[in-house]
Amino acid sequence: MIRPGRSLYSRIILVIALVFGVGSVILGTAAWFYARLAADDAYDRLLVGAALQIAESIYAQEGTISVDPPVSAFETLSLSANDRIFYKVLDPHGAVLTGYDDLAAASANTGSHEPLISDGEYRGFPVRVAVVGRLVSDPVAPGWAHVVVAQTREARIILARDLTLKALLLVFAMTGLAFMGVLFAVRRALEPLTRVERELRSRDPKDLTPLDVEIPREIQTLVSTINRFMDRLSGRIALMQRFIADAAHQIRTPLAGLASQVDLLTEETQPGRREHQLSRVRERTAELGRLTNQLLSHAMIIHRAEVAEFETIDLTALARQTLINAVPLSLDRDVDLAFDDPPEPVLMRGDGVSLREALSNLIHNALKHGAKTRLEVRVFAEDDAAVIEVIDDGPGIPASEWQRVREPFHTQSATGSGLGLAIAGDVVRAHGGELRFRERSEDGFAVILRFKRQHEAPELRTGGDAS
Amino acid sequence: MRILLVEDTEDVGEAIVARFERIGHTVDWEKNGAMADEVLEVQAYDLLILDVNLPALDGFTILKRLRQRKSKTPVLVLTARSQVDDRVDALDLGADDYLVKPFDYRELEARARALLRRSAGESTNQLVCGQVTIDRGSRAVAINGTPIDLTRRELTLLEILAARPGRIFGKDELVDQLFGFDDEPSPNAVEQYVARLRKKLAGSGAEIRTLRGLGYQIVCP
Repeated sequence: MIRPGRSLYSRIILVIALVFGVGSVILGTAAWFYARLAADDAYDRLLVGAALQIAESIYAQEGTISVDPPVSAFETLSLSANDRIFYKVLDPHGAVLTGYDDLAAASANTGSHEPLISDGEYRGFPVRVAVVGRLVSDPVAPGWAHVVVAQTREARIILARDLTLKALLLVFAMTGLAFMGVLFAVRRALEPLTRVERELRSRDPKDLTPLDVEIPREIQTLVSTINRFMDRLSGRIALMQRFIADAAHQIRTPLAGLASQVDLLTEETQPGRREHQLSRVRERTAELGRLTNQLLSHAMIIHRAEVAEFETIDLTALARQTLINAVPLSLDRDVDLAFDDPPEPVLMRGDGVSLREALSNLIHNALKHGAKTRLEVRVFAEDDAAVIEVIDDGPGIPASEWQRVREPFHTQSATGSGLGLAIAGDVVRAHGGELRFRERSEDGFAVILRFKRQHEAPELRTGGDAS
Repeated sequence: MRILLVEDTEDVGEAIVARFERIGHTVDWEKNGAMADEVLEVQAYDLLILDVNLPALDGFTILKRLRQRKSKTPVLVLTARSQVDDRVDALDLGADDYLVKPFDYRELEARARALLRRSAGESTNQLVCGQVTIDRGSRAVAINGTPIDLTRRELTLLEILAARPGRIFGKDELVDQLFGFDDEPSPNAVEQYVARLRKKLAGSGAEIRTLRGLGYQIVCP
């Protein structure tokens, strides 16, 4: 079942957009910060220049310190048309010589030629303040006189904003370019997936050969998984086709034989030969009936292997009941039946219906091809294994045939379809167990089913029928 | 004996009728389920051979209605459906035996014979196995007409086995049927009864077989 998730493309776009968005905000903030520094730097020079010019005009005469601010000093500052300028000049005693005496003296005494620049506020406006000292060498009142010049920030803000905007423009242009680049790259990167999709869609439904497209390393696992899956599928299909072909052959052959014998019968007048033909008809019919049952049972086993829920099964009870049910009343030989059960119940997890089917097929096989006088079923536990053995005193199967007889329709004998062991094998496989043989000995020939044993069962359900 | 065959497949029906008539039984053949049900309401049979898939009324319903009327007629169910489910259904509903189509006619005859024998035992109160006759009314057993002495438990054991020759009875099953609440039941005791019974039946043709791990069965020649 495919659940539609968010598209890979939009996922990548979302992440990239997020990164670019956050990046732009950070870059913008940084641009604003540096633009302000630059603007301050530029205008501070003018401010300090004006203050120095005023300081130059301080002079001492006979103990009186006076100042005559030159016009040029204010002209320099008037470059920023909208800003207002405030100033004051202090004599070495701190008395205001001229200017706005309520202008805060920032840090009053610098005691050096170095100008001091700081931020401040005057009459409700944010201002930039420059303080410049000048050593008055008058013998009467020697010491540092100070010039304080303050300017509102309007021009600086305009400059900083202007610089920031230009920087932001660059950031946006770059982001846009990068974004487009990413879109393009993502489309290109996803292209191989589309190629694989196109290749699969345009295929003939019967074509299960591996995909042959050029693909980047990142999706190689995906494509090789698809290839492996197709390989398995084609294996299954080949097996099924062979099974159907074999089954068709197995059904048609006795049918053809039946038709021929019936045809012969209608013409035959000699009683001895009629008898012979009739027995042939009977044989073929029995064969067809058994084959049909086995084919259906095989189909049921395969179906149950996928859907049946496992439950705890008492293997002893199941095997005993299966043995009792599997022996026909009309058996024409005297075969000694025996059941060898362990003192303790042998438990396993499994599907009772399939297990019964597997065991009854083995018992039928033994009665049909094997057992001359003795048929024994043994159930026992061996370490972690739950084991069933079906033993008979017949000729057995030679070791060289052990592999082949597990395959469907292996036998060429006239009476058996050769599905019994294949059915048992399928059941054992579905239970994670194994099917084995034991060579003929004094004990007899054995077909062995081994399963994983369950040690403790919370609730016990017997697999046997109450019949 | 009188047999009712309910089977809608012409070929199969014909063969069964011919086969049972040849060995001396009277066979009525119904092809329609509803008709068969009506016949069963008025006529008693010694054996009912019942197909499951039938027109008008299916075999399971006929069987259920038959048992609801408390009829003890032995029923042998023939089925072509998935064996497992039908088998369970049929036995739950009171069938005595079942066969899956296509079946071997010798097997059908063997099973029918076993059921008919029980039927005969019910009506005449007499069970026969080889030269052994068991009169259930007087509880007397004779070999070739010569009465033999059996204890109460030996007789019960013989009755159980001879009622269904060929059927395998588990030891536990026999213990349950042989011993009441007051007795101390033991599987060993069953073995002893079987051994004694076997000795007493020697030469009668009836053979009690021990199937190791499975139980006992009686085989009548």
